[in-house]
Amino acid sequence: MIYLDCAATSLQKPQGVAAASCRAINHMASPGRGSHRPAMDAADCVLNCRLLMAEYFNVNDPDKVIFTINATHALNIAVASLVDPGDKVVISGYEHNAVLRPLTAYGADIVVARSPLFDPAAVTEAYRQALPGAKCAVINHVSNVFGFILPIEEISALCHEFEVPLIIDASQSAGVIPIDFTALGAAFIAMPGHKSLLGPQGTGVLLCNYPVKPVLFGGTGSNSLLSSMPDYLPDRLEAGTHNVAGIAGLTHSLRYLMSKPPRYVLEHETALRTCFERRICDIDGLTLYSSCDPDCQSGVLSVVSQNPACDELAEILGSMGICVRSGLHCAPLAHETAGTTETGTVRFSFSPFNTCTDVFQASEALKKIFINR
Amino acid sequence: MLQYLLMCKSLTYAQRALRLLERIGVSTIITKAPKSATGNGCNYCVKVSEKHLAASLKALNEANFGNIRVFLVSDDGSVSEVRK
Repeated sequence: MIYLDCAATSLQKPQGVAAASCRAINHMASPGRGSHRPAMDAADCVLNCRLLMAEYFNVNDPDKVIFTINATHALNIAVASLVDPGDKVVISGYEHNAVLRPLTAYGADIVVARSPLFDPAAVTEAYRQALPGAKCAVINHVSNVFGFILPIEEISALCHEFEVPLIIDASQSAGVIPIDFTALGAAFIAMPGHKSLLGPQGTGVLLCNYPVKPVLFGGTGSNSLLSSMPDYLPDRLEAGTHNVAGIAGLTHSLRYLMSKPPRYVLEHETALRTCFERRICDIDGLTLYSSCDPDCQSGVLSVVSQNPACDELAEILGSMGICVRSGLHCAPLAHETAGTTETGTVRFSFSPFNTCTDVFQASEALKKIFINR
Repeated sequence: MLQYLLMCKSLTYAQRALRLLERIGVSTIITKAPKSATGNGCNYCVKVSEKHLAASLKALNEANFGNIRVFLVSDDGSVSEVRK
């Protein structure tokens, strides 16, 4: 099997991640629920991951690192903290439903800063036009459909200029592109642990630099006589028992990523993606969505096929042992921007563990499908 | 030797306090704070001996741990606040 769906969830994890999770299941209890050994081991495990996350993303206070169940949960907290009904919120034309749906649910007046695919300067200009009067802004760091790397540094600077708090959705970039939370000065950065951070499913993180509103209420093992959530982080946002097993695995995968040069994953995945593009660009009947500028696309490539249709193509590839995703990828806005709403796309997304052999076999499989048409 | 409890606002703070104190050579443990010492219930503290109290408070203060409440542990296990 060749797994090319890292943009959904990374399947192959660094060696030791599963063992770390297993150890946590067998030996750790719940942080803050006692001072006995299993509870304190769990607390140490969670703190270790919090400290590593703070170091990896340059967060000046580890208490600003909040563990969530996924990026969607983290984005819900960020939106709840910043948005009231009727507030103008500026977003890019590449946002995921994890942004669109919470904004809609909280009654935001959503303004889309529209810009063409793979044109970072146009993104910046669109935000410049849209930001005046906004209550907050959201930007997807990397499009989950097209791998388009959006200019978050420029947008962050603009948001500072207009005094608009910024939420960054780093779902596709965390673990791939170096992110400096302090330098960016964003209000929130949300990310999953199970994609390019290479941790287990059920892990997510929210980096906070803004007053927060909880979306989940319950026990924290602290201030138990209060009927409201504690007013300090991380307890304010971490109700209920942590996913200690997931966090233990995430700690291990973070150590793996931190042992690599900062741009190692991006360079590896981009090299595989460009190699794959070269091998399939001549296939008649396949439209590739790729950028001429190597700095504005990650290791994600979408293609459109009419015959077979995208969903059918993905199924055929699946039957040949090539795992990819088709459809709208929960990001209808990105398809609206690129004009692929009717067809959807087939997405190939690479991980640090994919190899040139994977690229060769996947491209040969594609060629075989189209030659036989 | 007299023992003191340094009350922390959260478990995370207590863990970070413990690690900081261990780095400066102070041996300590995290314990659940006695109910009589916690206004809002369920808190954690680090326990230090009298000879390490001043150095511990200085280190925590320098690391911006904020205003730390200090409790003296009596022989019978009861606690009394000695600094707010």
